[in-house]
Amino acid sequence: MENNTDKSGINRRRFLGSTALAGIGLLGASALISGCKDVKDAKALGLPPILKGAPKGKKLRAGLIGCGNRGTGAALNFISAGPDLHIVALSDVFQDRIDATRERFSKLKMEIPAENCFSGFDGYKKLMALPDLDVVLLATPPQFRPEHFKEAVLQNKHVFMEKPVAVDPVGIRSVIASAKKAQAVGLNVVTGTQRRHQQDYIETYQQIANGAIGKLVSARAFWNQNHVWFRTREEGWDDMTYMLRNWNNFVWLCGDHILDTHVHNIDVINWFLGKQPESAIGYGGRARRLTGDQYDFFSIDFDYGGGIFSHSMCRQIDNCANGTGEFIMGTEGYTNCANTIWNLDGAVKWQFKYPKDENDNETNHLKIPAYVQEHMHLVYAIRTGEYVNQAEETALSTLTAIMARTAAYTGKKVTWEEIYKSDMDLGPKEIAFGPVDMQFEVPVPGTAHKA
Amino acid sequence: MKFWKSFHSILSVKRFLLLAILAGISAGIIFVIAGNKTVKYTSTDKYCASCHVHPHAEQSWKLSKHYDNDAGIIIHCVDCHLPPEGHGMLFAKAKHGATDVYGILFKDSSEFNWLAKRKLEKARKFVYVESCVKCHQNLFPKTLTVEGENAHLSFLTSKAEVSCLNCHLDVGHFDPNFKHEHNKNFGVTATQSTQLFTESTFVTNFVNFTEKIPGTNVTFEMVAIPGGQFLMGSPKNEKLRKPDEGPVHSVKLSRFFMAKIEVSWDEYLEFFKATSSQGRKEAEENKNVDAISGPTPPWGAPDQGWGKGTRPAITMTWKAANTYCQWLTKVTGKKYRLPTEAEWEYAARGGSKAPYFFEGDARQYTSAGFFKKILGADTATIQSYAVYKENSQSQAMEPASVKANPFGLKNMLGNVYEFCSDFYSPVAYQAYQKGVVNPKGPKKGQEHVIRGGSYKSDAKDLRSAARDFTKTKAWLVTDPQMPKSVWWYSDSNDVGFRVVCEVDKNIK
Repeated sequence: MENNTDKSGINRRRFLGSTALAGIGLLGASALISGCKDVKDAKALGLPPILKGAPKGKKLRAGLIGCGNRGTGAALNFISAGPDLHIVALSDVFQDRIDATRERFSKLKMEIPAENCFSGFDGYKKLMALPDLDVVLLATPPQFRPEHFKEAVLQNKHVFMEKPVAVDPVGIRSVIASAKKAQAVGLNVVTGTQRRHQQDYIETYQQIANGAIGKLVSARAFWNQNHVWFRTREEGWDDMTYMLRNWNNFVWLCGDHILDTHVHNIDVINWFLGKQPESAIGYGGRARRLTGDQYDFFSIDFDYGGGIFSHSMCRQIDNCANGTGEFIMGTEGYTNCANTIWNLDGAVKWQFKYPKDENDNETNHLKIPAYVQEHMHLVYAIRTGEYVNQAEETALSTLTAIMARTAAYTGKKVTWEEIYKSDMDLGPKEIAFGPVDMQFEVPVPGTAHKA
Repeated sequence: MKFWKSFHSILSVKRFLLLAILAGISAGIIFVIAGNKTVKYTSTDKYCASCHVHPHAEQSWKLSKHYDNDAGIIIHCVDCHLPPEGHGMLFAKAKHGATDVYGILFKDSSEFNWLAKRKLEKARKFVYVESCVKCHQNLFPKTLTVEGENAHLSFLTSKAEVSCLNCHLDVGHFDPNFKHEHNKNFGVTATQSTQLFTESTFVTNFVNFTEKIPGTNVTFEMVAIPGGQFLMGSPKNEKLRKPDEGPVHSVKLSRFFMAKIEVSWDEYLEFFKATSSQGRKEAEENKNVDAISGPTPPWGAPDQGWGKGTRPAITMTWKAANTYCQWLTKVTGKKYRLPTEAEWEYAARGGSKAPYFFEGDARQYTSAGFFKKILGADTATIQSYAVYKENSQSQAMEPASVKANPFGLKNMLGNVYEFCSDFYSPVAYQAYQKGVVNPKGPKKGQEHVIRGGSYKSDAKDLRSAARDFTKTKAWLVTDPQMPKSVWWYSDSNDVGFRVVCEVDKNIK
């Protein structure tokens, strides 16, 4: 008998071996065939599917954490992504924000039960402890994201989370680790870097990755806009309440606007160049902001190694030369990353064709907004098993922005290695309502001149 | 009788041949009939234990997580001690097999230093990372702590070669003393405060003195080293030298005091207790000497479990050693510092121009080379003066175990490497003018000079002129913190230091 088992064991191994070899042979052949064409398709490039809607499937129940404007928007995007998608629970630090979102859903004839709504700093934990919850949407200020993401993975939830995914390196490492934990158990994660879900960007990327502008040699990225919202302190608000209501203006909550908004452009450059920068030098300052402790402009030189640099700039000041976007120069042409490729002489080489509207008129936008497309992708992944996890790539782009911010705040050159391993951990040790014992000085780079 | 004698001499002369043949045969056997069965038969725990005559290995295995775990899974000898198939399994099996055959035939297992074989550097040679990750496929289980996350991220992103063993040395064989965590109780055991010195020793003449550390009951000996001129470096004809030891150049030095022994744990722990800080930031921001911030709690057991007392303190960083000197300066009111490289070599030579301050040369004492390994060398002289590879049993010793050099200094050569204040440059000596006075080494640099060799060194690295340097990155590979400690090296256990004291103008 023992001999028999041995023998069959060997046979089975041989059998497996030969089928594996056959498999390799097939793969090799297909690689050869595609090698002739030398064109990498969307799948080989790791690009997401372009969907007209999420596929049918098991009913998915989602909870929203962070009922601000973006959170409520994300919740609406989620339910519009496909059939049988529901928002069934809400959480926010402030009850009034929960009420507003609940009201909004109520007007759409979608009632969210009161017992599924949780306010306070630990509301997210109660929400994630609900049984039957499949998905969580994380849309609080980024300070809280690492903690929320960690809990979501512990509670086996699929995740949509907004960018940026943290405000400091300690948070970034937590997100990367949670991303790997999620991957190990097959939890899908989609992030709000929506350009990665835009068909125009995706097709431009495909062109560039297949050599449309030759070797990439330099880049620039910019997000220059008017001033953004802020809240002035109201009577009766304690320190914590004020900062949370005005979170977009405090670095420990927001990470500064180089994270909050410019991270989109930085992420596109990292995506197209296929790596993160090795170091950053840059500057910034505060000229017109009225509240908080952040800068209102940054100018950063990223060094990607091998002679490739990217100039990143962002500004939030009214009545300046504004605009947002990206640009990449290659040895044989250049691109705006969004929809167009030019030859070196300035002639358009390729352009993305936007769909026509109902009246057969040309348009310059996609039919399905990227905000919805990303949720379609999440639901598609959950329902088909085509796994997706963007958490680490978004964490690395957020860390790129943190490296840049640190370079500007300190005036020093900051390397990837330094920032990846940094123990920078912003914010008060304990997060609770009441007075906050912290200095909020606007950073000044370098040292003072001696008189 | 005569017949037997000649038979024996034939035997010893032919040891090499015999070994080669046996190794060849065993490798041959394994390769030729490497059928599943042979491999299987020779891979059972029972088969391993039939030759590996150290029962504690089996006991510690049975107490370890690889045997005694909630899942009831038993991990067998070869699961860790051989790489998996497809990763050179048969080659490794033949290699280890040949080593084992050699050991059984020619070595006495009762003389093996099993403790030393359990240290990371040895263990890495017979435990395979490929085998670890073959079973441990998920490095990010949900239960992983934040420290574990940082460590595993570091493992994945590190360019240096990190083994799982760097942190998980005790998974296969239980070790009650193994610690892979902050040793928060380190050095806090209360000393008996019977008699604490209120002031340091008052020195009026240039003679040896016993320093008293105020606020403690610790003393240490300082030796008066007269000033003078000497030839630094090794001549081109010195045996087994390295190019960075030249050119030989004349150096003039002022007089100084030097500690008789390497800074001991007794001494270092007083500094640790007086200055240790909780956080790295605190330590870096306090550059004011009046408020010296010292080391954070170390990782694991800095004394390697050998005991503290007069044994040299080790595993501190160069920065920590330098801060120790600042602290000692502050509490004693004298000017203590690390020796310059020139001071160190001058003191180590004790007037000798020869490779060592005692008789003999490196060719005679080295154990490198095949014939030396088989035949051994006459090392009685060096063994009486120095703790090194051949007599250390892989650990640093107390100074009482060796004789002093002509200046009266102990363990200048061997025991532990010693930090110097100079930055290291392989061409440092080329920059010196003839007859340089009190040289301090290159103005800029990354790593610092270390001197004297250690308990791990071969005799050739104990020569007075032999130079080496700190390897900051490699010495912090295991440290799982982000960022890594500035006070303790996680992967260096044979470097310490000794202090010098500048001679005050008022001393006659």
